[in-house]
Amino acid sequence: MGLLALLRKLKSNPEKELKILLLGLDNAGKTTLLKHLASEDISHITPTQGFNIKSVQSSGFRLNVWDIGGQRKIRPYWKNYFENIDIVIYVIDSSDRKRFEETGEELAELLEEDKLAGVPMLIFANKQDLFNAANASEISEGLGLGSMRRRWQIQPCSAMSGEGVQEGMEWVMQTVNKK
Amino acid sequence: MRLKRFLLRYYPPGIILEYEQGGQTKTKSVDLLDLKPETDVDAVLDEISRKEPLITPSRMDQVRTLIKKLQQKLAATDDHAFYLFKVLRAHILPLTNVAFNKSGSMFITGSYDRTCKVWDTASGEELHTLEGHRNVVYAIAFNNPYGDKIATGSFDKTCKLWSSETGKCYHTFRGHTAEIVCTAFNPQSTIVATGSMDTTAKIWDVQTGQEISTLMGHSAEIISLSFNTKGDQVITGSFDHTVTCWDVRSGSRIHTLIGHRGEISSAQFNWDCSLIATGSMDNTCKIWDARTGQCIGTLRGHEDEVLDVAFDYTGQLLATASADSTGRVYNAVTHQCLMKLEGHEGEISKVCFNPQGNKILTASADKSARLWDPQTGKCQQILAGHSDEIFSCAFNYEGNTIITGSKDNTCRIWR
Repeated sequence: MGLLALLRKLKSNPEKELKILLLGLDNAGKTTLLKHLASEDISHITPTQGFNIKSVQSSGFRLNVWDIGGQRKIRPYWKNYFENIDIVIYVIDSSDRKRFEETGEELAELLEEDKLAGVPMLIFANKQDLFNAANASEISEGLGLGSMRRRWQIQPCSAMSGEGVQEGMEWVMQTVNKK
Repeated sequence: MRLKRFLLRYYPPGIILEYEQGGQTKTKSVDLLDLKPETDVDAVLDEISRKEPLITPSRMDQVRTLIKKLQQKLAATDDHAFYLFKVLRAHILPLTNVAFNKSGSMFITGSYDRTCKVWDTASGEELHTLEGHRNVVYAIAFNNPYGDKIATGSFDKTCKLWSSETGKCYHTFRGHTAEIVCTAFNPQSTIVATGSMDTTAKIWDVQTGQEISTLMGHSAEIISLSFNTKGDQVITGSFDHTVTCWDVRSGSRIHTLIGHRGEISSAQFNWDCSLIATGSMDNTCKIWDARTGQCIGTLRGHEDEVLDVAFDYTGQLLATASADSTGRVYNAVTHQCLMKLEGHEGEISKVCFNPQGNKILTASADKSARLWDPQTGKCQQILAGHSDEIFSCAFNYEGNTIITGSKDNTCRIWR
């Protein structure tokens, strides 16, 4: 995928393609999730310094999924990717309770973004395979998701095992079909 | 008309005549694109004196010396192997494009981190960070041959003009309604052209910062833009499958090159502006008569999208890069496929010749750049080391330094 392919992905064909943005703190599991969606090997994943893009076919749609690096110093650049987004998937490491506040702040900022106003959001409560993981309702309450003014859904999952990922993507497909 | 002096141009070979006319100093160039080390000097001299009234018999010895000097330069064989000189942790996000100034003393890198950086080639030191864009800096250009200005086109829909010496921003060109993805100066450095995802191209005045014209007509994104050598025409390649040739002065359309069955990836003039080569997602490359706008050849063979095309400096060879992981070398006149460049393990997104025309450089998603001999098609060297795909590459004018820009946030200097 050279520069030209990146330009083609900037403008997706609204009838057949969906542009999905995968955001969240560093180490939330975004790249693992992306690789899982693309049915790729997930054994060697390193922190994303920039972005990764994969295209997957799902019920007649081509999903162009943009996984954006989540380290603090590059979070200000998330805005680079906000044009023409159909769905935001926000990934949370459910086992990292120390960072719930930080992830909540980032999420709150995203919800304020004009360019993402009204864009449906799927929240993956990831890493449910870990023993200390908070469950979905705990996270939902903690982050005050109930007050979000858009279509949203929280889905517990494990990007490692794949559990729950399919259910989340089914919500994505239902949501876009209703548009 | 009075001849003042001669200037030599090595790549492509030519002699520039500086002369006086009506009190003004003007230049014209005698192109010697077919010159080879073994060409008979007297025959070349005869032809020049026949065509060029400024070359009087008294000047013949001087011209003979110049031609010999050009031939010496052409005969010089450079078989040095490139080594990795420096890794520049250039940006905090992936790089986009890279470009040298004419002398090769400086180069620039664009990035997703919204900056463009100016680098000293000899030391690898950062000279300036051009800050101000609010989104990805995608398209970058020096105003070669002068090299004192830089244009940056951004996803923030603006283009900025900077001083390469001080890093100061002279102008911000506003008017496009979508991402700017290509930009170029005319060779006289009086105007900047920008191409945008908003389907238009715009021409801007370098001096005043004002918009001169909008080139309207494409029905989809413009992703490639280049001036001809004279600077009186500009071509735009679009996702609407066509290329349009525009008159720079009037901003009007001269021709539209119609025939490709897929998006255009790249469109280039050859040196003497007689031909235009276009690469397309339809897996072919086409060659067009630049004067009439007629397609005169379709170069088939690639099994996947053609992502880039490049003429050598004399315009005799054409190289293509494809998503099928191969490159090809064609004779630009006969359209014969001369060589297949095989070895990359991922799509090739960029291709260029060195100014001497004896090396081809390719950049690939396989994280390597490779050097090829256009005569044999053999891979001479693999420039390995980047940890992610390479988005851009360039030779300096001397042909002895290469820069590669990667998605791994680094730029590497090879020499």
